[in-house]
Order: sequence, then structure tokens, then C-alpha cells
Amino acid sequence: MSNYFNTLPLREKLNQLGVCDFMDSSEFLDGVNALKGKKLVIVGCGAQGLNQGLNLRDSGLDVSYALRKEAIEGKRDSWKNATENNFTVGTYEELIPNADVVINLTPDKQHTSVVNAVMPLMKKGATLSYSHGFNIVEEGMQIRKDLTVIMVAPKCPGSEVRAEYVRGFGVPTLIAVHPENDPEGKGLAQAKAYCVGTGGHRAGVLKSSFVAEVKSDLMGEQTILCGLLQTGSILSFDKMIEKGIDAGYASKLVQYGVEVITEALKHGGVTGMMDRLSNPAKIKAFEISEELKDIMRPLFQKHQDDIMSGEFSRIMMEDWAAGDKNLLAWRAETGETAFEKTPAGDVKIAEQEYFDNYTLMVAFVRAGVELAFETMVQAGIKPESAYYESLHETPLIANTIARKKLFEMNRVISDTAEYGCYLFDQACKPLLADFMKKVDTDLVGKNFNEGKDAGVDNRTLIAVNEALRTHEVEVIGAQLRKAMTAMKSIKTA
Amino acid sequence: MIQPVVQITNLNLKYRNKPVLEDLCWTINRGENWLLCGASGTGKTSLAKAIAGLTHSYGNIALGFNPQSSLPAMVYYVANWHQFKDLEGQSNFYYQQRYNKQSVETTATVQAELENFGKKHALQFDEIEGILEALGFSGQKNATLIQLSSGEHKKLQLVKALWLKPQLLILDLPYNGLDTLSRQNLNALLEQIAKSGTQLILISNENELPACIDHFALIESGKLIEISAGEYNRNEMEAVNKPVPAFLSDAVAPFSSEQIIKMTDVNVSYGDKQVLKNISWEVKAGEKWVLHGHNGSGKSTLLSLICGDHPQAYANDFHLFGNKRGSGESIWEIKQRIGLISPELHWYFDPSATVWQSIVSGFYDSSGLFSDPGYTKKAQADELIRYFGLEEYKDTLVNELPLGKQRLALLGRTIVKNPELLILDEPCQGLDQQQTQHFNSLVDELCKNGTTLIYVGHFESQIPNCIEKRILLENGEVKSVKTITQKTYTN
Repeated sequence: MSNYFNTLPLREKLNQLGVCDFMDSSEFLDGVNALKGKKLVIVGCGAQGLNQGLNLRDSGLDVSYALRKEAIEGKRDSWKNATENNFTVGTYEELIPNADVVINLTPDKQHTSVVNAVMPLMKKGATLSYSHGFNIVEEGMQIRKDLTVIMVAPKCPGSEVRAEYVRGFGVPTLIAVHPENDPEGKGLAQAKAYCVGTGGHRAGVLKSSFVAEVKSDLMGEQTILCGLLQTGSILSFDKMIEKGIDAGYASKLVQYGVEVITEALKHGGVTGMMDRLSNPAKIKAFEISEELKDIMRPLFQKHQDDIMSGEFSRIMMEDWAAGDKNLLAWRAETGETAFEKTPAGDVKIAEQEYFDNYTLMVAFVRAGVELAFETMVQAGIKPESAYYESLHETPLIANTIARKKLFEMNRVISDTAEYGCYLFDQACKPLLADFMKKVDTDLVGKNFNEGKDAGVDNRTLIAVNEALRTHEVEVIGAQLRKAMTAMKSIKTA
Repeated sequence: MIQPVVQITNLNLKYRNKPVLEDLCWTINRGENWLLCGASGTGKTSLAKAIAGLTHSYGNIALGFNPQSSLPAMVYYVANWHQFKDLEGQSNFYYQQRYNKQSVETTATVQAELENFGKKHALQFDEIEGILEALGFSGQKNATLIQLSSGEHKKLQLVKALWLKPQLLILDLPYNGLDTLSRQNLNALLEQIAKSGTQLILISNENELPACIDHFALIESGKLIEISAGEYNRNEMEAVNKPVPAFLSDAVAPFSSEQIIKMTDVNVSYGDKQVLKNISWEVKAGEKWVLHGHNGSGKSTLLSLICGDHPQAYANDFHLFGNKRGSGESIWEIKQRIGLISPELHWYFDPSATVWQSIVSGFYDSSGLFSDPGYTKKAQADELIRYFGLEEYKDTLVNELPLGKQRLALLGRTIVKNPELLILDEPCQGLDQQQTQHFNSLVDELCKNGTTLIYVGHFESQIPNCIEKRILLENGEVKSVKTITQKTYTN
């Protein structure tokens, strides 16, 4: 198998990278009809598999689960999830041959072996659905020409997919049809029906391509989403300890701070987040995030370049082949950091305090979101895709840090994200060494406004506001957020 | 002179920036047990929270505990609404999550929860068995918190309080969701702890009270007035004579099928525990049923099967509106025909919705509003807002209102689309007596049009007149089904 993207002529590369349309709700008037009466067989029953299946069945579709023999015989969690919710469960051999649509919801790393196992069993003209395009685009998996290949990717964790559905809403979803595998031209209709089945059509659907999804997803997860949150959290914690801030307080501020700060980002974009700061703090955060952008830009560009050339997947797959040597070593290292080992103190931190005492993280988030977005757009990815893979997902990842710090984040995210995060963090820390020397507790650990005059220069403030609000991620974000009206609020710890 | 247990002078308190209590004074002397009543929204809960130090108020609240007593020198407040967290300390649960089986347990068991509580307050474990027994809660020790029904959560709250035996115990609507026997047993337990030195403040509008209650107070216009037992029991209710909104009384519910519900030998188990056993039940169009049963008898599970909220409906012989479940219908097609209120729906309702949005969301069966309803639906929602007297709160977030007003908004949501099947699971929880009577007469009115009704209510006084059939569940089985000829209910 060779990298699919690299086999394409430049013209087609640009063509597929540039697919991204926010779909109008009138596109979904046909409901689930394209899948009605069809046999949907989901492979894998983890959080995504189970919750998507529950939604699809509640939308009137025929859903069953194909699991590996060992999972069934060993009565593993996936088997329990499916049977205890009264789904039909069977082996690949039993269920795949009758399936009209096979929905692959196993972890990325298993895709090659799963697809190799199910493809020969699939009936002629059936459909294979993915929720991530890595296998097709980076590993270059070739799918039988009579099969239709689609992608439906809800942009939220599995439990959220269910929670939003039962309240009558859904989660934003990305869909795509693989141009090499749409022999009957039914791919888009089926992907749309699938979206209606999981409730995604109510929350906003982005029509993308396998290529655009993979290249933007990889970029987002390894730079802003996981990489920078990891690096920024550890540097912030270490700085506070160095400066004598109470360790329990520092741990709590870092663990929950990203979630509280990015909650503002979720509702009001970078502007909304920056507006939570006082005027002097906002100007300061703007200045240091400009500096951070200059320092980190080459690193962001390198990540994007390696993703586009296939270099990133090549070295990651080497590590897969080596039994995840680098990844596991790094995972263990994360578990050993001082931040990870210091429990959050039993102190009350008010919501506003997370902004006032953690201005540094606000600057990190602004720099990371804008840089990731700019770099993606420069590489030919559409702003809509770039928005979802940078700003939109940041609060979701921040939530995993709030739950159980970075180790938990790395456990929950995909293997590709974790590997990318590893590469980023390794390179970013030395890059920021000089910058961090200048950082004091007014930016992290203590209230920035303490002992300062609250006054600012009008023209400076206006210029800062102008720069923040006219950034392209803000312009496109405002449009997309309008379409996702009902976002749940988190409760602060 | 012995210091009073509670002495409040000139208390002023705001609820979401609106003045609720104004220069309120109240003295509770040693040995007194009080009942606190008043219409919904008069500030009972706010006052209780102020005494417990859980909310900010202006004025003086002096607490005088008995230094000689062996009971904890503290005030403990049992909220009218339960709250629980998962093992990670979050309470991010969603509607009907407890019916979706996931292999990983994310909440503690009742046993672990009680052990934590006992450790925190240094309590003796041998004292708890009797309390669990009396409230019919012994069998729940291995259940996880997410599996509990609202009545069972209420019991867990009460078990903790009765075990703790603080010197001052405030119980806010303690009878909500409890079955008749549990209410009687609760009263007996309250009398016991009162005898051993715990003083009670009970917030309730009910008539069955523990005998130890010897003082009655009413909150009216921000002030507290002591009343006599006689005055409390008089139940002066002005009949509400607002005409039912025309769009609800004119329309006759269209029948999709003569047979609304038909289930045969329905079984539902959670792990080893069977919660419904061989249930067969048929509900025909236009019938008015009351569903009775003790806490934990399986009522909420049964109703969740009917409402399309329970995945086990797919595994049973279950017909709704003439179609077998799992024959290609979506749960939204089912919900479209049902108007539902339940403690669970209320508990999980979208906290970011206003009163108006909540009512309109009833047209779409969603928790929160995601669609533009258009002119007619807007007008109908406005009419209901006037009918329930919620004009003033139209644009207020539901969760910023007192419980009774929240409930009225959600009842508006339940009926707004004039559905062919009404499922009212303890609809009047949190309402005062006048509101309850008002709502039940509305139900009677709606049912004249041929609406099918399933009503759950633990209080006999809270059952609408139109009920004609009764099904009784006991430990997951149908104990009896009968036609009601006269208005006598035994639970």
C-alpha cells in the first residue's frame, strides 16, 4: 500500500484538499430514507460504536454489531455493550455478507486488519463507512471497486453523540465520499441519511473529502489541540513551582484552567476568550501571543509539511511496527511529570480567577489556534475545515485534561493524535525556553491586574481589538457557531 | 436563659436579584419542630438555605446549638432536588442515560456513597440498617447512583440525614416522589429522631405530617407569619376558573390507532436484577389510567419503554400506536404523539432554555429549542404562558426559577402540542395545592377531547377526576388491574 495522497497529481491534490461546504439543512429533508430497511452492521462497539448504534436504531434503522470471535467468546466489553442493549451480535462471517452498509468504528490502528478481514466478505455493491480517513489516505488502502466508501465523523466523544441525540439535537458532523469508490453515485445520499440517523444534521454538517479530513485532522490534533495544550500546561506548572506558588493551587489552576478558558473560546471564539481579560491583561496577552506565534510558526509549518508529504505517517507507522516504542516511552514520561503527580489542591478558584491568574494560557491558546488555522489555510485547506480542526475541538480536548490531566488526555485521544502530540511537545519545549525565562507570576499564578493601573491607551486597545476580531478564524467561526446554536455549558470545578 | 436554636432578625434575601424575603423575623426555641409552608415562589427554599448558610442574605441569623447534646452541632439541609456526581466528581449526566448500558461503571454504588458519607461524619454503620429497612431501600445497596429513580434518590438523601441526626434538620419537600408507605415510615423516623433531640424544619404543603410538628409558619409577601395547625389544615383554595386555551379545548386528538399501547410478557433486567417481569398491559385510545406502585416497583422503567426512551423496548413484544417497536419507526415519531412530564425529564432539562423556549420545545420533543416555530406555534405558547401565569418569567431561564414555577413551564411544554397520549409521571411535584388543583382540572378538561392518559401520582389528593382505570405494580409485576367505579384509591 502506498500513500494515496502522494499518488495524486497536484491538480487533484488541491481539488480534494479544497472540499469543504457547510451543508444547508434543506439537504437533509429526505431523512434516513436512503438507509431505511438496509442492514447496517457496525464493526466495533466502543464508545463511538455503541452510541452511534443506539442513535441509528432509535432513528428507525436496522443495526447489528460484528465483533471478532475472541471478543464474543471472551465476552469482552464490546460484546457486553452490544448485547446488553439488545443488539444482534455476530462474527464477521455471520453478519458482514448480508450487510448493506458496514460501519467501521474500530480504532485507527486496527483499520488495515479490520478492512482486510471484512472486505472479502462484503456483498457486491455494499457500502463501507469510516469515521476517519487515515487508512484510505495515508495507508493507501485499496477498496474493491464495486464498494462505495463514505465517511461520517461526529466531531465529539461518543457519550456526547448520544446525550445530544436524546435531547433532540446532535453534534457537528463531517461527511465525505471517497471519489475512487462511488460506483453507483449513492455515497452522498447514504452519508447524509447516516447523519440524520445520528442527529448530526441538526447541529451542522460539513461536506469534506477523505484527504481534507485527514490532513486537517492530523494538523489540528498534533499542534493546537493536544501538542500545545500539553506543552503549555507543563511549562506553566513548572514556572509556578519555580516561583514558589503553592503546588496544589498550581496543579488545580492548570488542570481546570484550560477548560474554563476554552469554554469562553467555544462560545465566543478567540475574541470572546480575550474579552474575559481586563484591558491591560488583554493587551499583554495579545503582545505575548504575537511573540509566541513568531517563535512557533516554523514548528507549525514543519508539522503541516510533514503531514502533507506523508513523512509524519511514515515515521508513525514505523513506530507502530516497532511496537509503539517511542509512543509508550513518552506516555510513561508524561505520567511522571511533576504536574501529573501533584494532585489539585482543595482550593476554590472562581471562574474569573482562571482568566486573571492564567493569562499565559489565554495567550498560548490564542497563538495556537490562530497559527494552526493560518498554517492549514496556507496549505490549501478550506477555512471551514481549519476552524473545526483547531478552534472547535480545543474545548473538547481541554475537557479531558480537566477530567484527569494530561495522561488522561493522551489515553483518550487517538493513537495518531498522541504520536503527533509527542513530536510536537519534544520540539516545542526547547523552542520556548528563552520565552519562558521572561515569564513571571503576573502571567501565571497570580492576578495580572494586582497592583497595576487599570488604564490603557485607547489607540492600542482599539488596534488589538481590531486585530483579534478581523482574523479569518473569527470571521468564519462566527458564521459556523451561529449554525450550532445549542452548545452545552460546562460546570466549573 | 437558653438561647433559641434559630433566631432570625430582619432578614433580607434576594433570589436572582429579586427581593424575596423582606425584614423577616423568626425564632425557633429549643424543642420546637416547625412546618414551613407558603405558595410556590414565596421564598421557603431561600430561607432554608440561608439558615443552613448556603446562600447569601442580609440581616442576622443566630444559631444556638446545645453544647450538652451528643448530636452533631450543625444544621443539615436536604434539598428539594437531588444531585450526584460521577467517580471523577462531575455531574454531566444526560436524560435516560441510565437505560443505556455501558460496560464501564462511572458512578459509585449506594453502598460506597453511604460509606463515604459515614466516614466524613464519623457515623456508626450499625445504625443505618434500620433506616434503610424502613424506607424500603435495603435492596439498593449495590445499585449505582445513575441507576436510581428520582424517588430512590430522594430516599438516599433522607437516609443520610436520618443517619446523621444533626441538631437542626431542614427537609425541603421531603415527601416528593415517595410512595405512601415510605411517607408513613419517614414520619415515624422523623418522630424518633425528634424525640432524641433533632429539631425539624419541614418545608411542605402536605397534610400527612409527623406528630412531632408543633409549630406552623407561612411565608407571605416576604414575611413569616406563625399560624395554627387548624389554619394550616384548612386548605383554603380558591378555585381557578381560567378558561382552557382555545387551541387545546377545540382540537380533538386524532387517533392513530384504537390500540395505543399493547405489551405482552415484557421483561427488563439490569444485570441480575429483574425490574419488570412478564408485564402485559393494553391501553386503548381514550382510556384514562392511573399507574400505581411503590418506589422501585418499575413504574419509571415501564413508562420509559412507552416513551421510546428505553433500548429494551426493542427486545420485547411491544406495540405502540399500532406498530411493533423496532419495525422501522423512529423514537421521534413516537414522541411526536406523546406529551410527557416526569421527574427525570425535569431533572435533565436544558438549563440554558428560557420559559418560553422550554414551552415551545414541546412541539419538537427536544430539551431546549433548536427550531424556529413560526407564527401559530409562537402564539399558542404565548397563550399557555398566560394560562399558567408565567408572563413575568417568559424570558427567564427555567433553572433560575423556584421549583414550582419551573414545573409549570415544563407542564406547559407537556401539553402544548395537544398530544393524543399524555404521560404524567408525578406532574405536580413541587407545585403548591392551588397549582396542583389548577393543573389537574386542566387535565380533566383536556381528557374530555379523547386524549389518552397515563397518570402516576403517589398522593391520592393529587389524582385528576377523569381517571377510570388503575394498574398496580409490585416488585416489577402487575399486581392488579381494575376499573375504578368510585373515587377510592388505595396505594
